Amino acid sequence: MFMGRVVGTVWSTAKWESLEGLKFLLIRPYHIADLAPEMLNRPSPFTMLDGVVAADILGAGVGEDVVVAFGHSARVAVEPDLAAGVAPGRPIDAAVVAIVDHFQVDPVVSHPGGDGTRLRQDYTP
Amino acid sequence: MMLGKVIGEVWSTRKSPHFEARKVMLVAALEQDGESLAVTGEVVVALDEIGARPGHIVTVSWGSGARAVLQPPDNRLVLVDAAISRIIDAHSQEIDGRESVVVEE
Repeated sequence: MFMGRVVGTVWSTAKWESLEGLKFLLIRPYHIADLAPEMLNRPSPFTMLDGVVAADILGAGVGEDVVVAFGHSARVAVEPDLAAGVAPGRPIDAAVVAIVDHFQVDPVVSHPGGDGTRLRQDYTP
Repeated sequence: MMLGKVIGEVWSTRKSPHFEARKVMLVAALEQDGESLAVTGEVVVALDEIGARPGHIVTVSWGSGARAVLQPPDNRLVLVDAAISRIIDAHSQEIDGRESVVVEE
């Protein structure tokens, strides 16, 4: 799973039949540079991760932070009434499983032997 | 499995009904950088059942491996694809034929 910010919506008309009625969002995953830049102990030119398209049945909107699951978990997530032993029928591999209310980043920045500085930060979208 | 450092926690109320009430942690992925570990930039969200706290070096298991951490043996409907499977006490590597061991706090 990863946490990201919803940055857009994706529409399509020509699609697999079982995807009818399913909403798709464009999500930008959080990079360590967004959450705890002090943990980057060497300069990196890449501080953005690739965007991900994920199915959403929770009703997340643009600007909200969400948790996205991949694979089998994603297929189960969009079919909440799935019975045990039945294979999920929709061909997706990423889905929103939670809309984030609040998160806290509390990295212990130093390595063993260091001063163990804590830089706690709270985020509420 | 992935090696990572726990950096925080996430809370949510609007979530999938399958997503059970468990601790949801933010874990920064780590890679080897010379003799130490460095962040790759990727941050993953993993469920925690073993009491990992910020600062802990952990392994994260993926897919049905993660579901097996949380609910063995019948875990097909557990909606989890990443779970913290161990807290690392020490790790070692071989440099020029010598074994170097790093013990975490």
